[in-house]
Amino acid sequence: MRVVVTGMGVVSPIGTGTDQFWAAAINGISGIQKIRCFDASSQRSQIAGEITGFDPNTFLSAKYIDQTDRFTQLALLATHLALEDAGGLDAYAPQCLAVSIGSGMGGFATFESSAARKFRNQSIPPFTVPRTMANSAAAWIAIKHRLKGVNLTCSTACSSGANAIGMALDLLRAGRADAVIAGGAEACVLPLTMTGFEALHALTTSFNTEPARASRPFAKGRDGFVMSEGAGMLILEKEEGAKQRGAKIYARLAGYGQTCDATHIVMPDMDGQVAAMHAAIRDAGMEPDSIDHINAHATSTPLGDIVETRAIKALFGDRARDIAINATKSMIGHTVGASAAIGSIATIMALHTGTIHPTINLDEADPECDLDYTPNHARQKQPRNALCNAFGFGGNNASIVFTTP
Amino acid sequence: MDTADIETKVIQFIATKVENLDASTISASSKFDELGLDSMDTIQLLFDAEDAFGINFEGEEAKGFRCVGDIVSYIEKHQMSAPLTKNEGQA
Repeated sequence: MRVVVTGMGVVSPIGTGTDQFWAAAINGISGIQKIRCFDASSQRSQIAGEITGFDPNTFLSAKYIDQTDRFTQLALLATHLALEDAGGLDAYAPQCLAVSIGSGMGGFATFESSAARKFRNQSIPPFTVPRTMANSAAAWIAIKHRLKGVNLTCSTACSSGANAIGMALDLLRAGRADAVIAGGAEACVLPLTMTGFEALHALTTSFNTEPARASRPFAKGRDGFVMSEGAGMLILEKEEGAKQRGAKIYARLAGYGQTCDATHIVMPDMDGQVAAMHAAIRDAGMEPDSIDHINAHATSTPLGDIVETRAIKALFGDRARDIAINATKSMIGHTVGASAAIGSIATIMALHTGTIHPTINLDEADPECDLDYTPNHARQKQPRNALCNAFGFGGNNASIVFTTP
Repeated sequence: MDTADIETKVIQFIATKVENLDASTISASSKFDELGLDSMDTIQLLFDAEDAFGINFEGEEAKGFRCVGDIVSYIEKHQMSAPLTKNEGQA
């Protein structure tokens, strides 16, 4: 049974809507700026990828806004755009429409602001819990669009979005849904959350005065990831149903692999990454030789980019150098649980348009990162079978295979 | 503020918080459900009113609120008691 992508919606620091996002991506535009949403002068990392023009009042009522965290609002906008792109899902019974969403932190904007109120002995918003809970985005997507089927949320840190898309593939294959809204959402450009990542030395700190240069996967001098926010949603359907309703088909979601390192809570492990990529390729009924494009996890941390490079070389051997690899995070930073959903949209657009977006800020590569990362300029190349990687705290490794239809 | 002032301000506040509700249709005797507010909407309204009026609704007492006048009475009562509490604290 084949599963296809019939709609995409993205809200990112480089654009809202697939057209705007993709135009910026292929032109190598950075969405990283000094933090505006709170006073970041005491943070070690003072830059982020923010959705600066985002106004929930343009598409949500005051009541919805009171009851939703920013990550849910971003998810709702991305879902609206994806459904519009897909031409709606009215052809299906509501009970057969599922939602599968990933988020690493859930409603942490609400959590942080309510905690601050509580510590000042002020009462807290009555919807603090339903706004904070990780499954609130999936629940609100269902409420807003009357989707009465399976409603799942996956929280596997930075791989959440990839796992959510993989779970959607499983649901469709198992016959538990006819169509799934699947993706990820995150909004944790927040003082406490960022301080937590700073404490782990995970965030960049050397580029506070040059934000656009800060997210530099595979480059010499990279010193950590740039916190970012956003949402990406896919409309996934069984091919048969999509064709019956005359939907346009962007790509096929062909395979999914997931492994756990079971070694360390935050340090990546090459073997787990190799196993996840290999599992996804096997799940798609392919061999590694078939893969001609990889949208890498590539967060711009010193260790992570090296380990992913080694993993790709271990799995693909000499062919690794022939694969066009790129890093969406070089432009938008790390959107945590949304990152693989947005990365998936970049992967699908590469298959759909025959253009590989660049990895920016890659003037000089780290000697230990010696593959073809599509440096600085987009490349006209038609990939056929592409891999999108996502690796998260907890030792989670998820890979997805998309192919041309 | 006297009772009438508080009532006017509370009604204006509710009209800004509740969609499709005109201030002229709200009175002190308007029950929350008559204004289209369910129990969770009412809790949210009271939370927003705390910030707007600089007051803290005590949970147990606020549970008994049924109409706009209940909010007005509470604000009036606690507005008057505030200076007294302060004096007692200083003593």
